[in-house]
Formats: sequence, C-alpha cells, structure tokens
Amino acid sequence: MSLLASYSPPGHLDDLDETGLKAWNMFISDRVDNSITGPDPHEVLNDSPRSQFYNLTKTDTAADAREATVTWTAFPRLIVIQSLSDAQRWRRADASRDVQDEYCEWSVTRNAAGKITKVMFTCEGPEYWHLLGQSDPAKVLELYRTHIDPNVQHSDLFGATGTYNPRNRWNDSTTDGAMHLIQPNNTLGAEIELAAAATVVRVIDGHELTTEQELIHCSKYGEPERNSDPHIGGAVNDLARQKADVSLADPVGLYFDKLATDGWAAPDGSDPKDYWIRQRGDATHPVRFIYEVPQDKGFTVGDIEINGKPIQFGAQIADFITIKLTGVACRFGQSTTQPKNACVQVAPAPVEPAAVAQNLSAASVPGYRAAPLATSWTRRR
Amino acid sequence: MDGIREHRRATAWLQQARTAETRGSPPGITPPASRAVLAALGDPDSHDREAPSLYRFVVGVDQLARPLDAQELAELGDPMAELFFRRGIFPLTVQDLLAGLPEPATKANQSVYLIGEAGQIPLGSAPELPRAMRFAVARAATGRDVDLLVSTGANEDPATTFLQVAAWDPAAKVFNYYMRISPVWVWAGNSWSALAPGSRGHGCFDSHINGSVVMKELKAPWNNWQSQAATIRLAPDDPFRSDPLYQQVIGAENLELTVRALISRWTAARLAAVTQDGTVEHPEQLMRHLFTSTAVNLASTATQSSTITPSSGDLLLPPGFWLNSDALLSDLELPVTAALPPMVPAAHYVESLGTFDFALEEKSSGFSQPGDTFFAFVVPEPACEDNEMVRQMVKQGLITGKFAACAFMVDFTNPVFSSVREQLMAHVPTTPTAVTELQDHIARAIVDAAANLPPGSPEGRFAADWVLADDTWPKAFAQRIDDYLGHVGRRIQESAGFDDYVRLAESRRRDFKAMRLNEFELTLPTTNIPADAPRLGMIDDGTVAPTP
Repeated sequence: MSLLASYSPPGHLDDLDETGLKAWNMFISDRVDNSITGPDPHEVLNDSPRSQFYNLTKTDTAADAREATVTWTAFPRLIVIQSLSDAQRWRRADASRDVQDEYCEWSVTRNAAGKITKVMFTCEGPEYWHLLGQSDPAKVLELYRTHIDPNVQHSDLFGATGTYNPRNRWNDSTTDGAMHLIQPNNTLGAEIELAAAATVVRVIDGHELTTEQELIHCSKYGEPERNSDPHIGGAVNDLARQKADVSLADPVGLYFDKLATDGWAAPDGSDPKDYWIRQRGDATHPVRFIYEVPQDKGFTVGDIEINGKPIQFGAQIADFITIKLTGVACRFGQSTTQPKNACVQVAPAPVEPAAVAQNLSAASVPGYRAAPLATSWTRRR
Repeated sequence: MDGIREHRRATAWLQQARTAETRGSPPGITPPASRAVLAALGDPDSHDREAPSLYRFVVGVDQLARPLDAQELAELGDPMAELFFRRGIFPLTVQDLLAGLPEPATKANQSVYLIGEAGQIPLGSAPELPRAMRFAVARAATGRDVDLLVSTGANEDPATTFLQVAAWDPAAKVFNYYMRISPVWVWAGNSWSALAPGSRGHGCFDSHINGSVVMKELKAPWNNWQSQAATIRLAPDDPFRSDPLYQQVIGAENLELTVRALISRWTAARLAAVTQDGTVEHPEQLMRHLFTSTAVNLASTATQSSTITPSSGDLLLPPGFWLNSDALLSDLELPVTAALPPMVPAAHYVESLGTFDFALEEKSSGFSQPGDTFFAFVVPEPACEDNEMVRQMVKQGLITGKFAACAFMVDFTNPVFSSVREQLMAHVPTTPTAVTELQDHIARAIVDAAANLPPGSPEGRFAADWVLADDTWPKAFAQRIDDYLGHVGRRIQESAGFDDYVRLAESRRRDFKAMRLNEFELTLPTTNIPADAPRLGMIDDGTVAPTP
C-alpha cells in the first residue's frame, strides 16, 4: 500500500523549479479531485460522483495494482471517415492544427523544392506550458528557441501583460512549428475528466454497457468520432467493471507510444526509425519527437517511401504513430459502487430568471471544439 | 462442439484436407508417417506420437504427404526453417515457437492481436455460444521487419488447437506456409504455389489467394478484431484475461500497417521476378488483378449498428462500396471534387434492418440474433492485394495510369465482382509477351474488338476513354465520378433508394459468400432477400439493376 508523494510533471520534464513542481502537483491533484466529484448533480444527472476514480496522492494504491496502457492512432479518425481518399485525408490533416484532435499535433517543414525535411510532433498538454509561462518565462523562450526557431522573440510568445499565448505565431500552424498541443480538446484536463467519467459503470434496462460506442454515447465523456476518447473510456470502464478503483498513472500525461515503420524504405537502406528522434520527455514518457534525416545523409524525409509512396505529408507519418496513456487499477473485486441505471442527462432548464442567467453563464463554457468537418456535439469541461 | 471449433479456424486448410478425404481422394499418405499426418489432417482417433518431422503436402499438387528431404529443407530460407526445422526443433505450441526465437520478445519486435467472429456478441444474450478466438502474432524474428505471422487458437488448448505460420524467406522472396498438427509440421507451399494452376485456390491458398498474407477486415473499424475501435468481450472474471499472450494484445490498427507492408513486399518481389527477363510468361496472372476481383476485403461503417437509432446522425458508408476509391482516388489521384462519401439518414438504415430481416446466424451452433453485424453495413470492397499489384505495375511502367484508369472506369460503379470489366480479360494474352508491349497489345486488342461491338460494350467503353488526351482523361473521369456520387447522394436520401443499395450490398455479399475466402458464418448478416434473387449492379446514374 502506498501514497504518491506528489504528481510529477509530464514525461518527468525538468523545466520547473521547486515552486513550479509544487504548483503542478496541486494542479493535477485538484483536477483529479474535481473529476472525482464530477459535475453538479443538479445540472448534470447521473454523472457524479465517480467513486471508483481516486487521487494517487490521497488514496493508497493497493498491492494488487495493475497498469493498463491504452494506445490509439495519432491520425485523426474524423478525417479518415470523412474522406474519400488517402491524399484527401492527408491534405486535410496537414492543413490545420484544429483537426489534429488525437492528442498529437504536428508541423511540417519543407525545402525550396517542396520536399519535407522535418516534421515536429508533440503531445504535450497546454496546461504545463501555461504554468511554465507563469513561473519561468525565460525558460519558455529558451525552449522555443531550441525546438522551434532561434529567432523566436519574447514578444512573440507573451502579451503586453506578460501572459503566455499558447496559440502564438510559432505554435498555431502546421508549417511554422509545434511546441505543444493547442487543439481545444487536446488537454490534460480533458484526459483526466474523461478517465474519471468512464469509471461509472452503467446498466441500462438490465443491460450492462460494455462497448466503446455504447459507453461514450451514454456517459457523454468525449467525442465519439475520435480514435482516442471512446477507446480510453472503454478501457477504463472495463477496469471499473472488474470492481477496481482506477486512476491515471503518474506522471499524468499523454505520451508517444511508438512509430511503426512497416513498409518504410530509406533510399540508402538505413533504418527509417533512426530518424525518429525524441526531444522531450524520458524514454518511457516521450512527449516530443521530430522526424528528420541528418543533412550528411544526402536525402530528406520526402525521399523516404512508405509502401512505395514517397512521404509528401506529415500526416502520412501520423498514420504510423500511436499515442498512449496509462491507467492504474487496484482493489480488484472490492468496489461497492453501484452501477448507474441511466445515462448522463442535462438537468431540465430552470425557469426562474436568475437561474436562467446562471445557466447561460454555464453554457458559455467552451465545449468540444470540433474539427471543421465534424458534425457531432459532445460535452467537455 | 469440435465441428463448431473447426468451423472458426484461421483458414480452411483442415477442411480442405478433410473434404478431399470424404470425396474419396485422400492425400494418400503412407505409413509410418501416415498416421501422424492423418492426425494432422483431422483423424481424431489417431494418437500417434512418433518423432516429429517436417512434411510436404501442397493441396492440389501432392498426392502423398512425405517428409522433406535434406535438400528441400536446405532450400527453405525463412525463420521457421532456419531456427527450428533444420535444427530438428518442432514447436508444439505458439508459446514454444515464440520462446524458441533467438531474441526475447519486445514491444518492438513482437505484436499480438486477437480476433473472434463471436467476440462482439453480448455475453448475456448468448451464454452458450462458443467464443472461439484466434491470436495473430507478428514477429520480426531475424531483422527489423516482420518475417513471421503466426495464427493459432486463443482460448483453447495450445497443444491441440491449430497452429499456422506464414514465414518470409528473404532469399527466395516468398512466404512459406506451414501448419502444425501435433506432432507433425507440414510445409503447405509458398507464395508461388498460390499462382500455380494445380494449387491455386486449394489448401491454404483458398484464402492466401495471391500468395500473400491476408487480413480480410483490413481497414478501420477492423470488424471482429480487437482494436482501438472495439474490444472483444470477456466476462470480468474470465480466466483468459490472465493468459500471457492475451495480456500482450494490441489493436488491429497496428496489424493493418504490417499486413499492408507484407502485401507490398510480396507484390514487389513477384513483379520483379516475373518481369526480370523482359518477358511476362503469364500476362493473365498479372492483368486479372486489374480486370477482376481475385480477392476482396471487407469494409463497413465505423458505427456500432446497435447504437444507431432513427434520430442518429447520417451514416457514412464505406467509400469502397461506391467505387474503387483506393485505386482511382488514392493511387491514380483522379481530381474529384466530392468532399465526403455518401451518407444515409440513420432512419433509413434502421428501417432497412426490419424490412430485410437482418440477422446474425450460425447454423452450426443454432445461434441467431436479429440485427446487423457489430459495425454496420459490412460489404466487400476491392482487395488491397489487387490494388497493390495495379499500383506497382503502374509504378514499374508495365502499364500507364491511364490504362489502369480506363480499365477501372469501364464499370467503375461496380468496384468488385464486375462481370462487365472481367470481359476485357478476353483480350489479355495468355502467352509470353514482352513487358514493353504488354499494355499496347491489350489496348489494341480491345480497341479492335470495339470496332465491331456496340458503344455500350466493355470494349466500346474502354475504347472511348482510351482516345482521350493525356491532359483531359483525369478530369473527365473525375467529373464522371463526381456526377455519379451526386446521383447517389440524392437517391440515398430516399428510403426506396437506400433499400436498393441494401439489395446491392447483399448481392455483393452473396458473391463473397461464394468465395472460399468466406470462412465464418458470423462474418456477414443474413437477410430475407430470396436466395434466387438476381445479381445486382450499380448504374452510373446511381440506380440499381439486375446484371446481364
């Protein structure tokens, strides 16, 4: 039995000073606690509390603990199902960070001939950068200059009042750099909330929900058309159905799982995996990679072929990347939490003017900001 | 029970051999090996435990199963031969096999997958339904690329369940196909056997039709596979959860990447081999990938059928149902402007389930359940292995993109099982033809024939497209596709229009069911459409009509 002393920064990154580390621990711990509490049951029905989700720093992790890694493809599923051809989907995914909604975003660098020379991939949540921007702006500037461009200026990243702008000119496109996630739903907060909400076991009309799509439609904890959200929810709920307590493993974050290179061929016969270079995060929790061929090789990324087709889009690489999160479950068979017998519902609209006004305020909180082609609605906090 | 288990095997290898026996043409195996091999071929009464060996038995070619001699064994250059058989090692189980490989298993060199046609049927609704599942293991045994694909029963005794291996021989550039039936290992042929007249379509080559590895449900959502889209259902206390291989299972989305690469690898090797001296001995063996459906993959919507209600959003149907989008749009890059695959209002789909009495049925177990497959609207679509051959023929200059496009466009609204496009095979030479003359030879034969045929004939259609200038045909073809998708987009909004597409889908499913590639009853739904209903085809205007 053990308690975690404090939540570590994503990937065990070493950018934060002692104050920053404490702040990060508090942030994650608070988010976990809020997600355990869930939404106000007067506003949202059948979604709280989430008694099988727990805070690693406040509740013991029992000796029977098992980790469960959930992986999914980095290429956005919404784009896959809404496209008629590979070229169409690759072009669409390379066109905007706002459609890169699988907790992985990328930016493509090309040479004068239009060939790809480098692709930056990140799965770092924006919250960490907000915190770093507050606690150590100089570090933020240093990291941008190291990883994006030496010409980055302080004023490019921070407003007049010193507030860090996550969607700055070096991190808001698919061509000028990708430092961390900016797609509105690619947040650690979303990940924590989703995992917590997915611990609610549901039995509807005597039928226990078990499939990814049944669960996400009923529990409304994410975007049904993503690779990630239904899959994460399904895996977490499977643990909860085993009457276990569930949490996200420390360090809480989204991480690169792997780059597969099946069918890849470099012009000189070298291993295409050699050019997948980890830049941030530890070996088991990587949060930033670039795909780039050293100049002395005499060829570029665009000369590498995948099943006989040259790499012309960063999205082609994203097809072969998987992202992961790791859950932890313990006390199997011991949970006494009862399943809920109804799906999540928004409470009936209040009729008193003050309550209406309050409800309007609540409604202004951004929900899932879907990719331009998306058609569905999902509640997100 | 045994029959049911056998019915859900990875391939039809065993059934082939048994069928041969029951038809009075047994493999003709002689003692003392015969008892063991007979056991391998399904004799449940045999308890032979003689020394294990590697036998050769290529269905359709060999009358006798016999041990490979030393020379034959030395010529096998795949990991199974090198790491096991030549060393006198004959692993009994998948666990023995994997443990016998030189490097420890890592996430980088080994991937385990799980499939089961009954895997998504709710546990509570059919507690007696056998839940036979299969592991597929992809392993890079000797280098950085996968060279072993293992298929075996998952939740059965590993020593008695089937165990089959496709192993890549980097020197011969072929897959060797093996099967183990205790204690005998059988070499069932290699990739070339799939193409040879005697063995084509027989034994393991009823599913490895063109000599490559197979993953029928290749694309998302990988129906029946455990994947990021769906998890095979297990009870919370199912002891299978503690199986070490089960605990390594990852999503089939990864296997798709591996299988595509392996298909591409064999296709490249095959094409290089058959064109190396500048002459193609059997042009028809290449061109049938363009003009016919030698195989198919199964595609579907990405939506779980049981979650669809009349008020659900529109349902995106798989692009491969409407046209060969992989070949025409992804490979040949026709500049279509259509932004989305056709979508059907959910209400029409839900209504069609009742209209046509959709059900999942397994006669061998007596199981029946109303409704569609787990993911809605499973249909055959052009096979990756056919399209890959066409793509590589274009890349290697055997044919031009225009030639391929003209062939597809002859009946582009029927991407699979097109009897119209297949008629053009009559103009493909069956004698050795120079690589540089192959395309012109065929095109000339078609155009000459068209002169004496109606404009609507397959030859007439091809000839009309073939004369288009190089700078006009891509746009002309794209416009035709855009027009067609526009017609479909309008017709599918009407209930009657969608019902026609359901009938068309069922017609194509029945063509698939007639193939040996169809191994499992639960792969596809049944309907109340009469068994003798005419085969249907799609017309350019988006209507459906009986095929001639």
